[in-house]
Amino acid sequence: MTPVAVSPVHDERVAARLGLALGVTFTICFLTGLYSHLAQHPAWGFVLPARPVGLYRLTQGVHVATGIASIPLLFAKLWSVYPQLFQWPPVRSVAHAVERLLVFPLVAGAIFLLFTGLANIHLWYPWHFDFPRMHYRAAWITIGALAVHVGAKWTTTRHALRRDSTPADVTEPAAAAVDRRQFLWTAFGASALVTVFGIGETFRPLTRLALLSPRRPDTGTQGFPVNATAQDSGVISLAQSPDYRLVVSGNVARELSFTLDELRALPQHSATLPISCVEGWSVSKRWTGVRMRDLLAMAGAASHASARVESFQPSGSYRTADVDHFQAHDPDTLLALQVDGEPLALDHGFPCRLIAPNRPGVMQTKWVKAVVVR
Amino acid sequence: MNDRSTSWRPGLIVGLAIGLPLMAVGIADFATHFDSAEFRSFARFYVGGDILHDAIVAPVAALVGLFVLRRVPTITRAPLRAALFATAITIAVAWPALRGYGRARVPHNASVQPLDYTTAVATVVAVAWAASALWLGVAVVRRRRRSREGSQPVLSNDS
Repeated sequence: MTPVAVSPVHDERVAARLGLALGVTFTICFLTGLYSHLAQHPAWGFVLPARPVGLYRLTQGVHVATGIASIPLLFAKLWSVYPQLFQWPPVRSVAHAVERLLVFPLVAGAIFLLFTGLANIHLWYPWHFDFPRMHYRAAWITIGALAVHVGAKWTTTRHALRRDSTPADVTEPAAAAVDRRQFLWTAFGASALVTVFGIGETFRPLTRLALLSPRRPDTGTQGFPVNATAQDSGVISLAQSPDYRLVVSGNVARELSFTLDELRALPQHSATLPISCVEGWSVSKRWTGVRMRDLLAMAGAASHASARVESFQPSGSYRTADVDHFQAHDPDTLLALQVDGEPLALDHGFPCRLIAPNRPGVMQTKWVKAVVVR
Repeated sequence: MNDRSTSWRPGLIVGLAIGLPLMAVGIADFATHFDSAEFRSFARFYVGGDILHDAIVAPVAALVGLFVLRRVPTITRAPLRAALFATAITIAVAWPALRGYGRARVPHNASVQPLDYTTAVATVVAVAWAASALWLGVAVVRRRRRSREGSQPVLSNDS
């Protein structure tokens, strides 16, 4: 029995094309995900640059859109190779056993990453583990298994990707080739469909088509999404207190303390910066407030100083955020008091929030009470 | 599968040399912050997703192929398969929104899942079916044209 006699889509030419596409999308997801991880947990000497302003926005928009685009491609790929799950004998040599064994972390990891990533952008957590940590670990395991698979299938894939790669001893009906092409069109078409109707959460020209997105960049308090609300963060009374003070302390020549009116009386600067969520949505806004570098200079901080920004939030991983020296001294890094000419709403960080270029949204700390200079 | 494809060929060895250290980074991170309850939950979703696909999703797809696609006229098979696949994928991608999981978790945040997703998904599915109907229409017109020209219908063979 020839392979095409079973079904034209269970064929190495189909698997090779879908595999190539998935190899590209998973590599993009891995690199953009790693960039986000390093932005939030600097390691290996990585320092988050302040420029280009929209780099984080681009990488995380691409990360989520590419992940969603991969879902139909993965299902189609698994379908094309499904009969191989039942091949007999299951292993033919030690090398074959190793290769097949490492297909498990590839397939299980790919499904795990796409499922947990999709659930995360919808704020759905049906598990009992820390999502970023497990997503990160699974990403390394999966990309490693992908590298093994690419190596193992290198020769087969190269042969299958050639335009005329029908084995010489196989005569197949013309309809089989048509069916393979139609199956690939179906897979890539479905991928395009969910991408077009999902990417509008970060790509403004398609916002009106963002029917599958959990967020819309034009929907929310003051016309854009809210990540964590003031109520859910437990800051309503503290952020609205008339005794509010922004304190600048730490490694400074003189500690400073400002009321909200005193902050408003300082030189104000405006900058158009994106707020870019790790969950894929993003939106650019016009922010106005006090430059962080001006505050650092007033406090007599060193020219290479970095800072830690602290929120009123009583708990949570993001109640503080580090601002490296590139970002702390960037002219567009603000302790913002206004957005689009209006005072910040409570849900967007009133009375004062950090906004800086090229930075994860969760590190654009809201309800700022202190800047600790380092 | 020939002997060459099951041997210690250079591609596999290079793949192992690159891939195993990458996998080790993720595995080593488990050792640095190990929590048995977290690991059990991780393992359930990691293995469970694979089993769910192999034992349920793929067999259901096979049954749909056997009992639906094989029983419709050949010319409608590919467009119908495309419509069904796009429908299933759209529902899967929108499932957390359709169920309102995020909104239920943060009911005070009106910017999370702000749409009527039943209508939204129905719209996307309608686009997919319209595209598939267009595909079918084009195939029918082409077949008639070829029939008139005396050539064999391209899609008349069972695959």
